[in-house]
Amino acid sequence: MNAVLTVAKELWTSIPLINRLAVYETKIKNKSNYLGSFWEIISPLLFIAIYWFAFGYGIRQRSDVDGIPFLTWMLAGIILWFFIQPGVTNGSKAIFSKIKMISKMNFPTSIIPAYVVISRLFPHLALLAITIVYMQFAGHPISIYYLQIPYFLVAAIMLVISVVMITSTLTVIVRDFQVFIQSSIRVFLYLTPILWPMDNRLPDWLIPVMKINPMYYLVEGYRASFFYGEWYFITNASYTLYFWALVFVLFSIGAVLHVRFRRHFVDFL
Amino acid sequence: MKKSVVVKNVSKKYKLYDTHAERLKDLLLPKSYGEEFYALHNVSFKADKGDIIGLVGVNGSGKSTLSNIIAGTIPPTKGSVKTNGEAAMISVSTGLNGKLSGRENIELKCLMLGFSKRQIRQMEPDIIEFSELEQFIDQPVKSYSSGMKSRLGFAISITVNPDIFIVDEALSVGDKAFAQKCLDKMHEFEQRGKTMFFVSHSLTQMKEFCNKVIWLEFGEIRAEGEASEILKQYEAFLKEYNAFTPKEKKAFRNQGFEKQSAVRAVTE
Repeated sequence: MNAVLTVAKELWTSIPLINRLAVYETKIKNKSNYLGSFWEIISPLLFIAIYWFAFGYGIRQRSDVDGIPFLTWMLAGIILWFFIQPGVTNGSKAIFSKIKMISKMNFPTSIIPAYVVISRLFPHLALLAITIVYMQFAGHPISIYYLQIPYFLVAAIMLVISVVMITSTLTVIVRDFQVFIQSSIRVFLYLTPILWPMDNRLPDWLIPVMKINPMYYLVEGYRASFFYGEWYFITNASYTLYFWALVFVLFSIGAVLHVRFRRHFVDFL
Repeated sequence: MKKSVVVKNVSKKYKLYDTHAERLKDLLLPKSYGEEFYALHNVSFKADKGDIIGLVGVNGSGKSTLSNIIAGTIPPTKGSVKTNGEAAMISVSTGLNGKLSGRENIELKCLMLGFSKRQIRQMEPDIIEFSELEQFIDQPVKSYSSGMKSRLGFAISITVNPDIFIVDEALSVGDKAFAQKCLDKMHEFEQRGKTMFFVSHSLTQMKEFCNKVIWLEFGEIRAEGEASEILKQYEAFLKEYNAFTPKEKKAFRNQGFEKQSAVRAVTE
């Protein structure tokens, strides 16, 4: 419990530092490319086009999802995926790849995975802005329910930071873990209703199983904000409760692991 | 007088594993696997403010491990290090990111040390000036020569103004002029009462510069005291060591290695 408080306090008091380092991280990441940070938006847009072609045009034969065009439906969910997926993979190797930059012991190491995750936020915000503009023309103009978007975004950030708090530590200790994360995270693209809708298509008993995956909550939350016209976190109050309990448990495990090993990170390199 | 660094019974144990499996077993199982190796064993000393302490010893005697522990970049296995103020270490390319340019490294390093954007903008010209990198400052650090890297590292460290300063071999790669510039700067620090540690194989630099010397051998302190006296002893030892036949040198190293692995049996 002590460890949880320590890490939470470290993150909370270092928010300005996390932001500055995150800005820096984005700035230098695409330095060697001519198009620079534009790739952060071009590359997901390319994927969106491919997924639309394969799933919307090909497999679904351009059919709607409950009255919403497939592209619109997919876009509302997939933009979150383009934050979570790189957030988890980059965050997992954050400590391993950055620890050498740190030359003093009292640096709050827990902010390293956090700032790497936050740095993925900038491309997401750009994609989100594009999506919001698109929605105005796609017949889902700004409504009061858009106010849920910041909530679900914060929820996504908390989830990803909690997950990488665990994985970044484990990656330092056992290098293979990074490879495992990189390959297993891709599975979630298909286990979350991002490319194909799940309810009404899966047997009733399977839906709760799929909902164990917390990304289900986030993706559906984003969709609710754009076009379901409901306060998703209230109408699904018990799911909200489950989500935050899970985040808390993951964060606690991550914090305990982090505090337990942090002094010895350099010894594992 | 207030002590600026107090090192008490510091030991640093490394584990040598033969296989990956051994490493994993050691991590997961309560039983100990792998061979233990003491890079440092039971090292204690104190440093006053304004001291310039030279660390000498043949390769593998634990100089770098000790300086890393004082700087706080690696934790000691046993014992404690108390430092009065911030410690900073300079060695060839400490904490420089090869992919980034010199300027970006300055910014990142200073961010990591907790400076604000504005402070960094103020410090940057001084750092670039001191490093003498001029037009190379925007080139990636991986393309720098080792002299350029150590100049950059040195320039960053002196500008952030630490209270305790550890220079690990950093001056042996730069040219004479730059080394002299650094030594001048360090003399200035000495007058301001900063503590410095100096790791070098250049005994001339040490003689001119240090007031105390600690002589490490196989992870333990063989001798410490006034610089001139210890350096004389060390020089005599080096002469003797250099006169060894390769076989004798090897025997000497093996004897040390056995000592460093067997320490545990003696102490526990």
